[in-house]
Amino acid sequence: MTEQPCVDLVKAEAILGKYPPAEPSLIQVLQDVQRAYNYLPCDVLVKVAETLGVPLAHVFSVSTFYKAFALDPQGDTIIKVCTGTACHIRGAGQLVEELTRTLGIGPDQTTGDLKFTVKTVNCVGACAMAPVMIVGDKYWGNAKPARMTKYLGKGKGGDDEN
Amino acid sequence: MRIESIAQFASLQEESRRRAADRRQQIMVCCGTGCLASGSKKVAEAFAEEVAKRGLDASVGMFVKTTGCHGFCERGPLVALLPSGILYTKVKPSNVGQIIDKTVLGGEVIPSLTYKNPADGQRISAYAEIPFYKHQLRVAMRNIGRIDPTDIRDAIAEGAYSGLAKALGEMTPEAVIEEVAIAGQRGRGGAGFNTARKWRSCRRAPGDRRFVLCNGDEGDPGAFKDRSIMEGDPHSVLEGMVIGAWAVGAHEGFIYVRDEYPLAVVHLTIAMEQARSYGLLGDNIMGSGFDFDIRISRGGGAFVCGESSALMRSLEGKIGEPRAKYVHSTDKGLFDLPTVLNNVETWAGIGAIIERGGAWFASMGTERSKGTKAFSLVGKVKNTGLIELPMGTTLRRIIFDIGGGILGDRPFKAVQTGGPSGGCVPEALLDLPVDYERLTEAGSMMGSGGMIVMDDRTCMVDVARYFLKFLTEESCGKCVPCREGLQQLLHIFDRLVEGRGRPDDIPAIERLSRGMQLGSLCELGKSAPNPVLSTLRYFRSEYEAHIFGKSCPAGICRELTAYEIVPDLCDGCHACFKACPVNAITGTIKELHRIHHDACISCGACFDVCPTAAIRTFPKVELKTEVV
Amino acid sequence: MPTLTVNGKKVTVGEDAVILDAARCAGVHVPTLCQFDGLEPWGGCRLCVVDMWQQGWDENWFKMVTACNHPVAEGMRVFTSSERVLETRRVVLDLLLARCPETPLIQRIAAEHGISETSYEVNPTPTDCILCGLCTRVCDHIGVSAIASVNRGWGREIAPPFHQAPPDCIGCLACAEICPTRCIPYSEAAGSRRIWDKDFEMLRDPVTGETVITKAQAEHFARRSGVPQGYFATSDGSKRRVMATTFTKLKVVG
Repeated sequence: MTEQPCVDLVKAEAILGKYPPAEPSLIQVLQDVQRAYNYLPCDVLVKVAETLGVPLAHVFSVSTFYKAFALDPQGDTIIKVCTGTACHIRGAGQLVEELTRTLGIGPDQTTGDLKFTVKTVNCVGACAMAPVMIVGDKYWGNAKPARMTKYLGKGKGGDDEN
Repeated sequence: MRIESIAQFASLQEESRRRAADRRQQIMVCCGTGCLASGSKKVAEAFAEEVAKRGLDASVGMFVKTTGCHGFCERGPLVALLPSGILYTKVKPSNVGQIIDKTVLGGEVIPSLTYKNPADGQRISAYAEIPFYKHQLRVAMRNIGRIDPTDIRDAIAEGAYSGLAKALGEMTPEAVIEEVAIAGQRGRGGAGFNTARKWRSCRRAPGDRRFVLCNGDEGDPGAFKDRSIMEGDPHSVLEGMVIGAWAVGAHEGFIYVRDEYPLAVVHLTIAMEQARSYGLLGDNIMGSGFDFDIRISRGGGAFVCGESSALMRSLEGKIGEPRAKYVHSTDKGLFDLPTVLNNVETWAGIGAIIERGGAWFASMGTERSKGTKAFSLVGKVKNTGLIELPMGTTLRRIIFDIGGGILGDRPFKAVQTGGPSGGCVPEALLDLPVDYERLTEAGSMMGSGGMIVMDDRTCMVDVARYFLKFLTEESCGKCVPCREGLQQLLHIFDRLVEGRGRPDDIPAIERLSRGMQLGSLCELGKSAPNPVLSTLRYFRSEYEAHIFGKSCPAGICRELTAYEIVPDLCDGCHACFKACPVNAITGTIKELHRIHHDACISCGACFDVCPTAAIRTFPKVELKTEVV
Repeated sequence: MPTLTVNGKKVTVGEDAVILDAARCAGVHVPTLCQFDGLEPWGGCRLCVVDMWQQGWDENWFKMVTACNHPVAEGMRVFTSSERVLETRRVVLDLLLARCPETPLIQRIAAEHGISETSYEVNPTPTDCILCGLCTRVCDHIGVSAIASVNRGWGREIAPPFHQAPPDCIGCLACAEICPTRCIPYSEAAGSRRIWDKDFEMLRDPVTGETVITKAQAEHFARRSGVPQGYFATSDGSKRRVMATTFTKLKVVG
């Protein structure tokens, strides 16, 4: 784990205030924390453990079990390449390779300037548009390696035409 | 306004139907995830703007609505028109004016926007005539594509909650279970367990507190029917759950939605809020005195949480580790209390079963697999999308009549069903009627309904390896056979696809597979060998080619495959040059191009784009014997 | 009180018994790794698999289940060494031997099942940890939960939070002592104990001066039981001496 800066716990406290302080709330709380901080900071996990009454070891266990969570700061834009079966046979692997060539990072890695994180994800359920790439919130169907700069440049928003 | 009685619900239905009828011209723009990815949001906005600008809503009752997934994602953005029943495909914002004037107002079809049948080049404008839709029988997906999922009254006009009104108004909980028993519905998540039997066990379990759960963790790669249902008709799920809760005596429910489906969470949340405000969920539902409410729980990104006991641990805030099977969740499930867990599609069918009767449902399908099933038809097939058909429909009909055959008219090789727990069914079995037992006999499984069509450019060894790789990342790691076994199987397959296979690999695979099937704790590990064993059963020669011939017959495995351009067929169009990611191709326009083997990474990008099929693959071992 | 047979031998056991209890009653050995009397059975190692037939089933229909947690039933028939049971155990041990090639316990049990070396790819970073979960289970049982399993699948491991000294650990050594392969290291020197990279002050017996228990553990037990901390900081020897002295003061009555 990389060295982490101290984080402001105000956001975490607001999140914790929304749920019953018990173990069943753990994963939903961590989901919200992940979205608010872009990762799960150590200090926040300690606070979560205290407030929900869950042993810290179990909180850490849950944080590392589920793919939705990251323990290190993620890039501003998360690029997800779907590696579902339909996407696999329609060339998802080529997309990942093109990303590595373009950004210099592989799956589960973040660029040095913290701009992009690349992730391979399980089937996102848009199989008819295989292969699918999600850049930020934007879905790109029938994605082609040759159009990678367009996908990365547009990022969030941009026109919908493929 | 809260519904306080069944009679009031009937009035609400009437009122909703009148409102729907006032919308004399409906323009329904599909906004499921697939069409959204093709830009349907802008199309919907363009329509809405145009209609408002010209006052057509007031003058002719023209109404624009966004719907859930029509299923024909390949041809999106899709726009369906009522009452004409016309379907337009690949609609752009620039087509909007023309569609309104020519078709909606003028009654004329615009041929260029209609579906073109690849079989005969004919244009078909009527939704109901398009082969993709003609053969379907939609029960679970009955309202998807017809309603705006964020407008409960639209759903009610199309029949939502009428099954619930019947259950609460005219039936006892036991009678409800009996009706579901007559229907013979089996779980649509994969296991195919009889729904009524599960409900009965739970009802009989002692204790006051119990739960009904919805498994929305659709993890099978290639399956997206549950996503469509949750996004496109969340009310069908809610209605089913209220009926089920009534039947087993539960007052609390959860819908577990996988992390990768954010839109489903949004639409379910809106639907629940609206249902509560109308008294169709929450306290005193329809004035019956029955209380039941639902909460949504998001998954954390773990395929194993689709397994029912792992899902329940996840709801409890724990890691998704399955539990020993000797404890039935209908006795001790969530928080060790009696629990019914059913799949999204299972719940979606319940309202229709109660409203139209179990006998109606049982009149469709085969002897042991009643009713209809949703399938996601994807892969190397022309018409990819979501379909729902009676059980017993043959694979041939699904893939060729509805699916339109193989992309590029390449030869059909296999169809993979059942996800990572399933298997590949070869050409010889294309006339197999699809039902639970027949698929299992063939070495595959119904699973969630994902059907991935494969052509001759699919390597079956690579497919098996793909599923192993997927499962090694999803195994929870609790038990030895699955955790260690998957890793070792993957090691073997890594060697196979790289040409380092050994003569005793096939017996080793078979032995380890047996150990995993018998020894694993849960179905993930137990069924993990299925893709391996089924590809071995039907495509053994491919395995042998990899091991003994150091070649990949499909021309896919990169370490075993080299590419070259056939001089007589190359027309110098330069497409391969542009597609090559590593600049391994040289050539000037209109001249013969050449692939340089030392730079080529065998990715196949050039093969995929060559318009004259001038690129061929051959075993890499032959390269070494060439004089370069 | 159900009656069942194990390898043909009839035994009667308690209502809540599991198959392993019945096997023991029948004098039949079933190998286990993740099982420990006093802890809830876990069913993770799969070594204790047996073939089982229950009343109402087809005569030739068996189910392979784990003996450590499957409940018994009246008329059940259990077979602990059928060919497929033995083969499944061999696969489990073969796989474990690949993961832990240098671990004496695994080498021994594997050898007992006819396996002297693994037929699989050996773990490039051999470990002694068989991921039986006993350490975390006993830690949860004691009410401390200082360590837990981390990650999933093949990368799964046992670790304290953030892989750093666990704040909740009380240094009781239960994890180290329950570990079947003794792979959790700890050390003691100069009145201090170290485990999981955490140092613990030891309390000394007031009479003999020997180290008895960590301060943290004594505090934990005192909190849980209401018994004063001092009781736990007394060595067993001292406790016996005190009891012996007390006994000598007792009068035998009538």
